[in-house]
Amino acid sequence: MAKDEIVVGVEIGTSKVCVVVGEIKSDRTIKVIGVGEAASRGVRKGEIVDFDICGKCIREAVVEAEEKSDVLIKNIYLGVTGAHMTSFNSRGEHLLPDERDEISNEDVEAVQEKARDISVSSQNTFLHTILQHYYVDSQEGVLNPVGMYGRKLEADFHIIHGVASRIKNTIRCVKDLELEVEDIVFNPFAAAQVVLDQQQKNIGALMIDMGGGTTGYMAYLDGAVEHSGVLGLGGDHITNDLSLGLRIPMAKAEKLKIEHGCVTLGNSVPGDVISLRDEHGFAGKEIEREALNTIIHMRVRETLELLKKRLVDENVLDMLGAGIVLTGGSSLMRGVKHLAEEVFGLPVQLTRAQNLSGNISAFENPKYSTAIGLVKYAQATFELEHKGFLGSIFGWLISGRK
Amino acid sequence: MIEYPRASKNRPPNIRIIGLGGAGSRVLERLIHEHLEGVGFVAMNTDEQDLSASRAPSKVQLGTQGTGAGGDPDAGYDAADESASIIRESLEGSDLIFLCAGLGGGTGSGGAPLISNIARQCGAVVVALVSLPFGFEGKRRQQQADTALKQIGQQAQLVICFENDKMRDLVEPTAPAHEAFALTDGILCQAIRSLVSIVTGRGLLQVGLDELATVLHRKDARCLFGHGESDSESRAVDALERALRSPLMNLGQMFAEARDVIVHVAAGPEITVPEVSMLMEQVQRHVGEHVRLHLGVSADARMGRRLSVTIISATGSDPAEPIRKPERKAERKIPVAAATRQDEEFEGEPEPELFRELSEPEALEAAQAAKKEKVEQMQFEPVNRGRFEKSEPTIVDGQDLDIPTFLRKGLRLK
Repeated sequence: MAKDEIVVGVEIGTSKVCVVVGEIKSDRTIKVIGVGEAASRGVRKGEIVDFDICGKCIREAVVEAEEKSDVLIKNIYLGVTGAHMTSFNSRGEHLLPDERDEISNEDVEAVQEKARDISVSSQNTFLHTILQHYYVDSQEGVLNPVGMYGRKLEADFHIIHGVASRIKNTIRCVKDLELEVEDIVFNPFAAAQVVLDQQQKNIGALMIDMGGGTTGYMAYLDGAVEHSGVLGLGGDHITNDLSLGLRIPMAKAEKLKIEHGCVTLGNSVPGDVISLRDEHGFAGKEIEREALNTIIHMRVRETLELLKKRLVDENVLDMLGAGIVLTGGSSLMRGVKHLAEEVFGLPVQLTRAQNLSGNISAFENPKYSTAIGLVKYAQATFELEHKGFLGSIFGWLISGRK
Repeated sequence: MIEYPRASKNRPPNIRIIGLGGAGSRVLERLIHEHLEGVGFVAMNTDEQDLSASRAPSKVQLGTQGTGAGGDPDAGYDAADESASIIRESLEGSDLIFLCAGLGGGTGSGGAPLISNIARQCGAVVVALVSLPFGFEGKRRQQQADTALKQIGQQAQLVICFENDKMRDLVEPTAPAHEAFALTDGILCQAIRSLVSIVTGRGLLQVGLDELATVLHRKDARCLFGHGESDSESRAVDALERALRSPLMNLGQMFAEARDVIVHVAAGPEITVPEVSMLMEQVQRHVGEHVRLHLGVSADARMGRRLSVTIISATGSDPAEPIRKPERKAERKIPVAAATRQDEEFEGEPEPELFRELSEPEALEAAQAAKKEKVEQMQFEPVNRGRFEKSEPTIVDGQDLDIPTFLRKGLRLK
C-alpha cells in the first residue's frame, strides 16, 4: 500500500453505537486514532427498529469520533447482524473450456459463481462468500490456483446470507446521515479478524461475540471459516430477566448486572444482599445475591448450550484445537470464562483486539472488537485489491447488494 | 380414525352437556347462565339438594339416597350404576356429549367412567372435560383423580384435562379460594364454548369433529388449550397473543412437541383473508415444521368487531405423573394395552404414525423419558417478555427465548 489509509468502521449495536477511525499503516498494523461511542436506542437484537432515534445516536457517535480523530468521516464500513442471518457451506465446480488448461482469474470467479448458485429464500441476499479451499483436478490444499494447469477447478465456500430488506434498512439509516457505505460486513466476521490470530484459525478456533442483543459466532478450521451464525440472545436478555425476576426497572437491572452480576452459582453466603439505594421514583430494594446470580447463570448457560448444540450439529466442536475465544461486552460478565469451559469442555479465553497501536485504552475492551474488526476487514480487502485477484482469503461478493 | 355417527347434513349435531357432581354442576350453571345456544344441558348429581337447585332443563338423580357420594368414588360409581337406565334415557339421540366433571371427589371420579361408557353406547362421541384437584386438596384426592382419569380415558373418545394447579398461578395469592375455583370453572366453560362453536359453527373453513378427534386422540394425552379474544385494531395478533398465554398452553413449550394443532378463528362477517394469513404466519413461527395445522374459520355476525382465536392440541404424554408416583411403573402398561384394544375397536384405518408409536414398548420408554424432561420445564407464570414485548420473538425449538430462562425452567425465586 502506497500510503497510510484512513478507514472508519461503524457498528450499530444493541447497547451502543461505536465508530472507530483507524489508520492502516504500510507495515500492516492498524492505529486507532479515534473512537466515538454513544448509547444506542431504537435497536433491538442487533436490528434497527426506530430509525429517527437510532439515526441520532449514530450521528452522536460519528461526531464524537470526528472530534477525537480530527477526520471528516465520509465513507464507512458498516457492520450488520441479526438473527435472520444464516450460513452454509457450498462447493462450486468449474470445468475449464477445452481450448485452455491454465487456470485464470475468470475461472476462479466462475467457480465462486457456481458455489453461489444455490437456492436460498428469495428474500435473502448473499453477504459474504468466503473461500475455504481450492481443489485442482481433485488435488487438495491448493492455495492459489491461478496459473496452475488443470481441467477441473473446485472450491468450497462458506456463504453467509440474510434477509435483504433488513440489511437494506440498516444501510438506509446510515445513508440518511449522508455517510457513504463502502462495504457491509457480518459482525462476527469482523470481530473474528481481530480476535483470532492466524495460528488459532489454522488449528481450529471458535469465536463467540457476546453482544448486547445478539450472540454471534464464527468457527475456523484449517485457516478457513467453517461455520458462523447469530443467536438473537444477548446481554439485553440478561437485563430483561433481572428486571422481571427481581422486579426492578430496566435501568437499575442494567446497572446491577454490570456492577454485581456474576454467572457463578453457589459462591455467595445465604443472606448476602445487595442494597439498591432509593432514589426518586424508586423505592430502595434489597437484592439477594444468589437470586441475581441464578438468573444470570440460567440465561448465559442456556445461550451457550444453544450455541453448543448448533456446533455439535455441524460437527465443528471436536475440531477446535485452539479452543474458544470470547469477546463482546457480555463476555465481561464475571465467571463467563469458567461457565463456557464447563459447557463446551474446551479451553476458553477472553480476548480483546490485537495487533494494534494508538489509543490503547479504547480498544483494550472487548466491547470494541467488532468495530475495530471492521477496520481490519477493510485492510484485508485493500490488500486483496492490491494483490490484484479476488477470492483469496477474503472472497466477497459484488452483486446482489445495496 | 375414531368411529362416530355422522350427523346428517340437514340437521345440526345434537349436542348435550353433562354437568356431573359438584364441580361439573358449577360449570353447567355457568354455561346456562351465559346462554350457550344450540345445546342441551343435563345435570347429574348424587346430592339431591344440589340437584334441585340446578337450573338445567334435564336432571338426573344418581342413586336413591340423595345424600352425595361423600368423596368416595365407589359410592359414586354405585349411584351411577343404580340410575344407569335413567342416564341412558336422558342421553338418547345425542351426537356429541361433553361430560364435565371435577375429579378427585366421589361423584365425578366414580360416575364419570360409567357415564362415558353409557354415553358411548348411545352412539355419541364423548368428550370428557375434567379438572384435576388442586395440590392442596390432598394426596388421596389426587390418587382418586388419577385413577378416574385413566378409566375415563378408556371410555371417552377425547379427554381434555385441566390441571387446577396450573391455573392457580393466575390467581392473586391473596384472592379468596372461591375465586380460584371460579377461575378454573371459567376456563373450562371457555373450552366448552369454543369447542361447541368449532363443531357447530358454520364455517368458511370447517374443522370437523373427525379432525378434532385426530388431533386430540393421544393416549395419556395432555391437552393444550388456548383461547383469546380481541376487538382492537390489530385484533388478530392480540387475540393470538392472548390464546398463547392461556394457562394450558405452557407458554408454548409443548407446542414444539404437538403433532397436530387446530387453530380456529371466529369473527364477524368482515373478517379478511390477510387477517387470517397474518395470524397463521404467527402461529407457524411457534410450532415446529413437522406440525400439521388444521385451520378453521367461521364468520358469525354475533361476534361483532371481536375476533377470537382458539388453539387446541395435545401432547402424547403425561408430564405430571412420574414425580408423584414412581412406583407406578408396572401399572403404566395399562394405557398401552388399552390403546391397542381401542385400536381394534375402531373401524376405520388407524392413523399409522399415531398408533405405531403407542403399541411399541420402546416408545413408552421414550415417552417416559420425555415426560421426565418436561417435568423440569413445567412452569405456569403468565408470559412476560418485558422489553421484548413488541419485538420479534427469538424462537428456538418452539420456545420463546425472550421469556426469562428462569421462568421457562420453572425456577422459583424467593
